[in-house]
Amino acid sequence: MSLDKLKQIITDVMKEVDVVIGYKQGFDPLHATPCFITKPEQVDQVIWNPLCVQNLASYLTSLKKKVGVIVKGCDSRTIVQFMQEGLIDRSKVVVIGIPCTGVVSVRKVLEKVKHEPIEEVKFSDDGMVIVKTPSGETKMALSEVAPDKCETCQYPTPVLYDHLAGEPITSTKDPQSVFKDIEEFDKKSLEEKKAYWEKEFDRCIRCYACRNACPMCVCQDSCIAESREPHWVSQKSNLTEKMMFHMIHALHLAGRCVECGECERACPMGIPVNKLKRKINSDMKVLFGYEPGVKPEDKPPMFTFSVEEKNIEEHKL
Amino acid sequence: MRVGVFICHCGSNIAGTVDVARAAAELRKVPGVAFATNYMYTCSEPGQDEIKQAIKRENLDRIVVAACSPRMHELTFRRTIEKAGLNRYFLEMANIREHISWVGLDKEANTIKAIETIKMAVAKVMQNKPLYSSSFKINKRVLVIGGGVAGMQAALDCGDGGLEVVLVEKSPSVGGMMARLDKTFPTIDCSICILGPKMVDVAQHDKIKLYAYSEIEDIKGYVGNYEVKIRKKATYVDWTKCTGCGLCMEKCPSKNSYDYFNFGVAPTKAINIPFPQAIPKKAKIDPDFCRQFTKGKCGVCAKICPTGAINYEMQDEIVTEEVGAIVVASGYGLIDMDKFPEYGGGRYPDVITGIQYERLLNASGPTEGHIVRPSDHTEPKTVVFVSCAGSRDKSLGIPYCSNFCCMYIAKQAILTKDHIPDSQSYVFYMDIRSPGKGYDEFTRRAQEDYGAKYVRGRVSRIYPKGKKLVVVGADTLLGTQVEVEADLVVLATAVTAAPGAAQLAEKLHISYDTFGFYVESHPKLRPVETNTSGVFLAGAAQGPKDIPASVGQGSAAAAKVLALFSKDMLESDPAVAKVNENTCVGCLKCKLTCPFGAIQEKELRGGKIVASVIETVCAGCGVCTSTCPCGAIQLSHFTDNQLLAEVNAICQK
Repeated sequence: MSLDKLKQIITDVMKEVDVVIGYKQGFDPLHATPCFITKPEQVDQVIWNPLCVQNLASYLTSLKKKVGVIVKGCDSRTIVQFMQEGLIDRSKVVVIGIPCTGVVSVRKVLEKVKHEPIEEVKFSDDGMVIVKTPSGETKMALSEVAPDKCETCQYPTPVLYDHLAGEPITSTKDPQSVFKDIEEFDKKSLEEKKAYWEKEFDRCIRCYACRNACPMCVCQDSCIAESREPHWVSQKSNLTEKMMFHMIHALHLAGRCVECGECERACPMGIPVNKLKRKINSDMKVLFGYEPGVKPEDKPPMFTFSVEEKNIEEHKL
Repeated sequence: MRVGVFICHCGSNIAGTVDVARAAAELRKVPGVAFATNYMYTCSEPGQDEIKQAIKRENLDRIVVAACSPRMHELTFRRTIEKAGLNRYFLEMANIREHISWVGLDKEANTIKAIETIKMAVAKVMQNKPLYSSSFKINKRVLVIGGGVAGMQAALDCGDGGLEVVLVEKSPSVGGMMARLDKTFPTIDCSICILGPKMVDVAQHDKIKLYAYSEIEDIKGYVGNYEVKIRKKATYVDWTKCTGCGLCMEKCPSKNSYDYFNFGVAPTKAINIPFPQAIPKKAKIDPDFCRQFTKGKCGVCAKICPTGAINYEMQDEIVTEEVGAIVVASGYGLIDMDKFPEYGGGRYPDVITGIQYERLLNASGPTEGHIVRPSDHTEPKTVVFVSCAGSRDKSLGIPYCSNFCCMYIAKQAILTKDHIPDSQSYVFYMDIRSPGKGYDEFTRRAQEDYGAKYVRGRVSRIYPKGKKLVVVGADTLLGTQVEVEADLVVLATAVTAAPGAAQLAEKLHISYDTFGFYVESHPKLRPVETNTSGVFLAGAAQGPKDIPASVGQGSAAAAKVLALFSKDMLESDPAVAKVNENTCVGCLKCKLTCPFGAIQEKELRGGKIVASVIETVCAGCGVCTSTCPCGAIQLSHFTDNQLLAEVNAICQK
C-alpha cells in the first residue's frame, strides 16, 4: 500500500466530512499517535507503518460530527459491532480501510532493546524491524514482535469500508487456530487457573486504562466500578475487588468484544486482560454461533431474549 | 433502624427440626435487630396481633417474619404491618419451612441455616425502601382460549354475567373432544345432543365473539390490559358468504383427505365441514390434499359454490383484541399409537384408539353408528379393550392416570353389546378407577348386566392370526397367561398435554409441569388460578379431567373473572424496574432484551437519550437489570444493593 494513495483518499474524503482520524508520528520514533485532520495542509502529517497500533474507531461513539476514519482489518470489526448495537450513525462515518500485514507490539520491541531510548525505527521489505538505540542497531523479525492478535488474524482486510487504500489481502492463518491459546489454557485445572489469575490481577492498580481504551465500553463515566448505588465494587485495593472489576468488565463484553486488544495494549502492568474476553467469545461461538463485529446485520445474542435457545438445554420438556 | 424478628413454630412443622428459641436469641445479637421472638402460629390472629403490638411497644420500623414460603403468607403479613402503620414493603419473609425444616432432619444444621437465612432477611429489610402502588383501569373483556366444553362453559357464564367474551378455537368448529363422543357416562346421554345446544348458544350469544380456526399469535400486557394478536388461519372459503350447504363437499374429487375430526377413521374430502352439527357450519379447504393446491388445477368447488365463497388466494389474517383477563381451556392431546410397537404401533388396522371407537359408535360418524372393522368392514364379535395404554407407564414418561379411560371403556363395552347383541367384550385393566357419583355402579353394570369380561392384568403383545388379532396378556388374579382371539382391539391411549401447550404457556407466562399440563396456583385452594394474575385455567389443560369436572372448572374460572372485574380499578405492583436517569447511558440494551416490551426510549431536555419503564407493563422479571452494564436500571424491592446486602450477610469471614 502506498502512503500517497492513502493521502489522496484522505484529501478526497476531507471534502465530505468534518474531520478525518489518522495516525501521525508520536513523541519518539517508536510511537505513532492518533491525529485529527480538519485542514488540507494537515494531510501531510499522516503516516502509515506497523507502529500504527491504535484502534481509531474507538473515537466514533463520542463524536457528533461527520467523520472519516482510518481502520485496519481488526479495527473495522469495531465499526460493524457499533452498527449492530446502534451506537453510530453509519451515514455519518466514512471508513477508509487499510489492508494490514501486521503491526508491532511496542512493549515487545522495548523489551528487546531493554527499554533504551529509541533513536530510529526502520522497516525493511523482507519483514524486519530495525531499531536504533544509543547502544547500536537491533534487527528483529516483524513476526517476533507482533502482538498476539496478529498471529491468528482472520481479517487483514477490513470487513467493511468505503475506500480501500491498497489491494485486499486474504488471511493465511488457520481459522481453527484462533482460540488455540484459550483451549490450551482451558486444559489447566481450576486451581491452576485461579492461581494464574490471582497472580495476574494482583498487579492491577485499578487505573481503569483497560476500560477507558475499550471501544465497546458504553458506560464511560457511569461505570459500575465506581458507583455506590449499586455498590458492586468497593474502593478497597485488594485482590477480590480487583478480580470483581475485571469479571464485570469481561461480562459486559460478552458477545461484544471485537478482540482489538486495546485493553491489553493500554494496561501499564502488562496484565493479559484480553484473555478473559476471548474465553467468553469462544463460548459465545459455541453457544450462539456468533462472532462479534463481522456482519452488520447480525444481532448480538445478549441483546435478545428468547425463552428457548437452540444450544442451551435448560427449558426443554 | 429498629428491626423486629418473628420466628414461627408452625406447630411442629418448623419447631420440630429447628431450635426456634435459639434462633431468636441469636438474632437479638444482630446489629439493627431491636426485638426478636418466637411464636406458635404467627399467621393466626393472636400471632398477627403480637406483631402489631410489638411494632407499637418496641417502636419497630422494619419487620422480618421467619416462617413459610412468601407464596403462602407474604400478603397476610404485609397487610398486618400496614395496619400497624408501616409501609407494606418494610416486610421481609425468611422461608425456614420449605427451604429448611421440611428438607433436613439435622436439627443443629437446620438451626444454623435458619439463623443465617433470617440474618439475610434482616440485612435485606434494612435496605428496603417504602413503595406505593398506583391504580389503573381495567378492560372488562375476557379472552377464552379453547372452544371445548370447558371453554364454552366459561365463555357462556362470562357472557351471561354481562362481560364481552372473545372465544378463540384452533379447529374449524367449537365442541372440542366432547363433540366427538357418542354417549356420555354414566347416564348414556347422547353427547352431541347435550353439547349441541351449548354450541348454538355460543354462536348466538350477543356477548360472545367467536374466532374459529384461529390461534393465539402473541399476547402482550398485564392483568386488566392485555393485547392479544389472533391468527385467523386461511380457510380458502369466505365465511361471510358460505351458507354451509355442503355442495362443495359433495362434489370435491379429492376423496382421500385426512379427517382430523374423525381421527382418521375414514378419509374425508379436501373441502369439508367437519361434522353436521359444526359451529360455525362453514366449509374449509385442507391445502395438503386439495388438488388446486397440490396439482395447481381443479377448481370444482369454486365452480359449484352457489355463493362464490371459494377464494384460493386467501391468506392468514392477524387481528388484535384487547381484553382484561384470560381463561385458558386449551384441552388435551392423546399419545400416538406408534409408541406401542408391542400392540402393532398403528400397523394393524383393527387396533384402534378409544376416541376412534367413539367415532365408529357415533350415528353421525363415518360408519353412521355401525361398528365395523376398519380392515374389512365386517362386524366384530369379539372386542378387546386395553386400558392404560401409556397411562401409569413410567417407561413412556407418563406416570399419571388419564382419569376417564376406565369409565369410557365400561361405556364402550355396554354400547358394543347394545349395537351387537351377540358380541363379547374383554377389558384388560390394572385397576378400575371409578370414584365419581354413580360411576362405580356403572362399571359393575358393564360387567354384571352386559357381560363384559374384566381381566385384571396387562396386555403384553398383540399379533395378527388370519383375520383375527391374538391378544396375549396376563390374568394376575388367576395367575395365568390369557390369550384372546379378537376381531377388534381398542386401546385406551393415554391423555397428554395438547400439542403446542408449552408454546402457549410461554406466550401467557404461566407455568407448566414436566408433562406440559398447566400449573394451578394452589392444588387445593386455588385450582383455577395461575401464578400470573388475570390468567385462569379450565378443563383438561390443567390435567386429565372428565366432562363434569371440566364444566365445573369452566364455571369456576368464569366466577373468578367476574370477581376480578367487579372492581373498576386494579392496584399495580410497585416492585417493577426503575431507571436512574443520571447514570443511564442510553445504550438501550434493556429495551432489546425486555420480554414484555416494557421499556421505551426517552429523550431528556438536554437531548440525552435514556431508557424509561412503562410501569404497568413491567412484570418485574429482572432481565433488564442483569442486562444493564452500569446498574442504572434497578428492580424496586430487589435492587442490586438489597441483594448484595443479603450476600454480604451470609458471606462474612
